[in-house]
Amino acid sequence: MRKYSYLEHICDIRLKVEADSMDEFFKAALDGMNSIIAGGDVEGSPEDSVMKICVESMDYTCLLIDFLSEVLLLTQSHYSIFSRIDIESLTSSRIEAVLHGTFVEGFDEDIKAVTYHEAEVTKNEQGNYESVIVFDI
Amino acid sequence: MIKITDMRKKAPYMWEIEKSFRNDMNVPARIFATREMLDDVLKDRSVEQLVNVATLRGIQSAAIVMPDVHEGYGFPIGGVAATLWPSGVISPGGIGYDINCGVRLVKSQLELSDVKSRIKLLGAALYTSIPSGVGKGGDILLSESKLDEVLRYGARKMVQKDYGFEADIEHTESHGCLDNADPDMVSSHAKKRGEDQLGTMGAGNHFVEVDVVEEIYDEECAKAYGLFENQVTVLIHTGSRGLGHQVATDYIKIMMGKMRDYGIVVPDRELACAPFDSPEGQNYFGAMAAAANFAWANRQAIMHSVRLAWRDIFGGRLEDLELLYDVAHNIAKIETHMIDGQPKKVIVHRKGATRAFGPGNPEVPQNYRAVGQPVIIPGSMGTASFVLAGANRSMELSFGSSCHGAGRQMSRSEAKRRVDATSIISELERRGIHIQAGSLKGVAEEAPQAYKDVESVVDVVHQAGIAKKVAKLRPLMVIKG
Repeated sequence: MRKYSYLEHICDIRLKVEADSMDEFFKAALDGMNSIIAGGDVEGSPEDSVMKICVESMDYTCLLIDFLSEVLLLTQSHYSIFSRIDIESLTSSRIEAVLHGTFVEGFDEDIKAVTYHEAEVTKNEQGNYESVIVFDI
Repeated sequence: MIKITDMRKKAPYMWEIEKSFRNDMNVPARIFATREMLDDVLKDRSVEQLVNVATLRGIQSAAIVMPDVHEGYGFPIGGVAATLWPSGVISPGGIGYDINCGVRLVKSQLELSDVKSRIKLLGAALYTSIPSGVGKGGDILLSESKLDEVLRYGARKMVQKDYGFEADIEHTESHGCLDNADPDMVSSHAKKRGEDQLGTMGAGNHFVEVDVVEEIYDEECAKAYGLFENQVTVLIHTGSRGLGHQVATDYIKIMMGKMRDYGIVVPDRELACAPFDSPEGQNYFGAMAAAANFAWANRQAIMHSVRLAWRDIFGGRLEDLELLYDVAHNIAKIETHMIDGQPKKVIVHRKGATRAFGPGNPEVPQNYRAVGQPVIIPGSMGTASFVLAGANRSMELSFGSSCHGAGRQMSRSEAKRRVDATSIISELERRGIHIQAGSLKGVAEEAPQAYKDVESVVDVVHQAGIAKKVAKLRPLMVIKG
């Protein structure tokens, strides 16, 4: 199970992300970010561009934000939306994955940055991982 | 939960939360607002964020917000924080992701009656010649060595390459170039994001707007600035684009990893910071200055496109459009201010706040020095913008800083739910304001009702003595991404 939803924010975009495993949790966060960038579902084949990434950080919370920042950078640099991800390894301080993307001509929303503000990876009462993520628009 | 009763009125339009309010505060939290505005300010978490800023190591006098304050991430928008040089902290979050986002006001010698019949032609020409919108690159593709020159020399480099005139440099804050810029401190990732973005506007609240001077409040200042009633002007609002965003992202991560080594604990990760005189602090300051220079070069390149389009439509020479002034509203500067009766060097963080130096300050261009620095306050799409003159009281109250705009009061999603973009465009058209936009969603998000009343915001800084009103500009044409 993985899902994301939009919460209110006065000037930026605030997402709530939830999943029943850490792999799915990172995928849910990526789904959420892509929905902002693409303005909905991404159409086309996610095999236009394939990239391997490795991100290291201090803890799951920072790793989540740093991972999204890295994907955002690749998205904006290569005009490619990475809608499929194969996670090869994931620990609290490191993620290795292969991203599969679709080339696009432009984006629906210009995300300036993925912020650490309000981000906190925790387990909720249902035993699912969850966090809020604020995107600077 | 902070309440109105936690605030004390210290002077007209100035409220403070005492340092004793929370035991980790190093200074009071100061808010410029009317009593009525405070109720709205307390609806979001901006004051709580201001209290967090008051805990920063080395912060001096007070953590300050302007009347256009709203909630940000870490720092509130509309904030000013000065930390003691050289050991106080520098915080990328106190400058923001869009480093040197700012505004540039260009003045023509034409009046409304001279341009009225061709205003839509001008709008179309501007929309075509200035790349705008989400993820849009421009025609100026820079090699890494050329980009480094832009990062080092800012607007100066653009003028050297015939994208402007020497007088433009004289009328840009810091002459459009921070001397401490160090392109080597800007990551290759950041450079990659900026390589095709010079001369592009971007999306969101960025715009190019054609205005008419509707009202002059102060004849002496208006004369010094070369403003007169019915004069047509052009306002440019944009920043350092993806390059600046990536610099901030890179250094927030670096500083978060080093804070423990410096014994720094912050109540919000987005307040990540490092001592200014640490290697991380110095590296960020060099990278931030490079991104600020990129932003000044960007606004210079856009102004050049405006001049070309203007000449095509109205004839004349490129230099007939003169730069009145260019100000940053997301930046950190080393400045000297009087603190407890002593002059002290401080690192002034302005995040959604405009420098507002008063008469006589050597940083103010020679031809404006007698009246003070121009302070340019853009309104929302379809509402007035204002030109103010910095006043010396700003040095006592706000580290020489003023507000930067209207300030949002409605979230983007609420604006999209409540506003029909097509109706807004029609309504503005009826009022003589033509919108040329790449996205209806963007128009809804930036609708006038999504913002506070800019006139009330400007009145607070005027009444508080921070800056005085000089002129009101009414929009004729708004170009957005």
